[in-house]
Amino acid sequence: GKWKNKERVLIFSSRGINFRTRHLMQDLRTLMPHSKADTKMDRKDQLFVINEVCEMKNCNKCIFFEAKKKQDLYMWLSNTPQGPSAKFLVQNVHTLAELKMTGNCLRGSRPLLSFDPIFDREPHYALLKELFIQIFGTPQYHPKSQPFVDHVFTFTVTDERIWFRNYQIIEEDASLVEIGPRFVLNLIKIFQGSFGGPTLYENPHYQSPNMHRRLIRLSVAAKFREKQQVKEVQKIKKKGSKVLVEEDPTEVVFETPAEEKPVEIQLVKPESKPIVKDKKKLRKIQRKKQKKLFRTEG
Amino acid sequence: QDGLKQCLAEFRQQLAWVERLDVTLGPVADPLSQNASANDAVDPENDFQREMSFYRQAQAAVLEALPRLRKLQVPTRRPDDYFAEMAKSDQQMQKIRQKLKSKQEAMERSEKAKQLRAMRKYGKKVQVEVLQRRQKEKKNMLNAVKKYQKGLSDKLDFLDEEQTSSQGNKKGNASQRTKKGPNAKRRYKNQKFGFGGKKKGSKWNTKESFNDVSSFQSKVAHNKGPGKGGRGGKGGKKALNKRPGKRARQKMKNRAR
Repeated sequence: GKWKNKERVLIFSSRGINFRTRHLMQDLRTLMPHSKADTKMDRKDQLFVINEVCEMKNCNKCIFFEAKKKQDLYMWLSNTPQGPSAKFLVQNVHTLAELKMTGNCLRGSRPLLSFDPIFDREPHYALLKELFIQIFGTPQYHPKSQPFVDHVFTFTVTDERIWFRNYQIIEEDASLVEIGPRFVLNLIKIFQGSFGGPTLYENPHYQSPNMHRRLIRLSVAAKFREKQQVKEVQKIKKKGSKVLVEEDPTEVVFETPAEEKPVEIQLVKPESKPIVKDKKKLRKIQRKKQKKLFRTEG
Repeated sequence: QDGLKQCLAEFRQQLAWVERLDVTLGPVADPLSQNASANDAVDPENDFQREMSFYRQAQAAVLEALPRLRKLQVPTRRPDDYFAEMAKSDQQMQKIRQKLKSKQEAMERSEKAKQLRAMRKYGKKVQVEVLQRRQKEKKNMLNAVKKYQKGLSDKLDFLDEEQTSSQGNKKGNASQRTKKGPNAKRRYKNQKFGFGGKKKGSKWNTKESFNDVSSFQSKVAHNKGPGKGGRGGKGGKKALNKRPGKRARQKMKNRAR
């Protein structure tokens, strides 16, 4: 058949990513045959430069990973010329190479995309669903794709986040094994334009990782401060309990000093005591003698 | 909100389903779940429950999509002779397989160790039982031999393997009178403490022994009998008072054999 649906996705990242993110990016590139790679972008340039990069590579979709502070990973999904874009915070990343992911699939086979019913209920989720389908779905008859459908991507909304899983279809009766990778997306904002433009939606449940860390630090500090306060209160209590009593002049009236003892100076060394190994032995011997006497008397 | 919907309307692509391959379904009903309401509120903290819900969602999607694909003549099963590059290299799969195998082996080893420990305990118990049984048999055998030597039982049944306690023969008439013979408790005590053994209480003065004047001989008591030459007809149940001489005893033994 002829390849009609010309979708190309550019997958690249900024500088300062760690090994896990790098592996995730590589995994996505292997799983999606309609993807293209690019070199790392410098943080100095602004985001709309990405649009130009995409145009140069002749791509109409983009996945951009941005790493901040070597801790937080943000992911941009965008439709490059004019379409909407979305920014996510990525958490709980597990890559293809983890040994617990035992499944395998053909490289470049087309995935089945499975969504939660929640995606149809809310408008922002509906928009995200469309974005996911267009980005993650491999076009039919793509030259690098395999004709079989042997794995399925699941997108589920739980706990206000989007969970991504990738399963291999083993049997026709839907027995599945996880291939990986897996990650969790926390939606931050949806923009009308690509990497910019007016904000269409802002996630009220989103809390930036900085804020999260700050809250943790504050709570720890609050605990510590509370302990210190309690200690101070205790100190004051202890001090406060001492009642000052006025000096009573009649107290010293009946005091009489003791008689002075005559000073004895020893000129001769005192006799040394006999070293007794067993203090009780002497007593034992005495007792036995007494018993004997008692017996002979009786 | 309106902006979202407008944007979505603009952005949406009208493609055939076969291009998109998307399925929106809830998870398959879990046959093990107690009530349906528990399914709706999946606790995200409970890892197992969460992952199972994802799994079931994928299953639902697969169950719906595969027939549709088959109708559209899109192949889903890879034929066995179709070799192509896989997402994970063969080396990686080998590593995975090794890991799984080692885990299984470790589990089996621990199972075996547990079983061995249990068996050793059981074996020790069995050994103790066997030793005790042997000692008991030895004791019984010795008792039987002793009884035979004393002439109580003139049967050589103890040479056979199966030995039933035939202690009831002591009181021959008594055993014929009642089938049970001596009381079951009495029999048990006889068997346990034997006939060559219990001598401790045999010479005490009990009521019965005090009132028992069977061994009274007035002539002996009043020193009026003919002396050791003759003996009053006593008879008695058994001539145990008068022990026959060596020759007589041997004759008796030979006669019994």
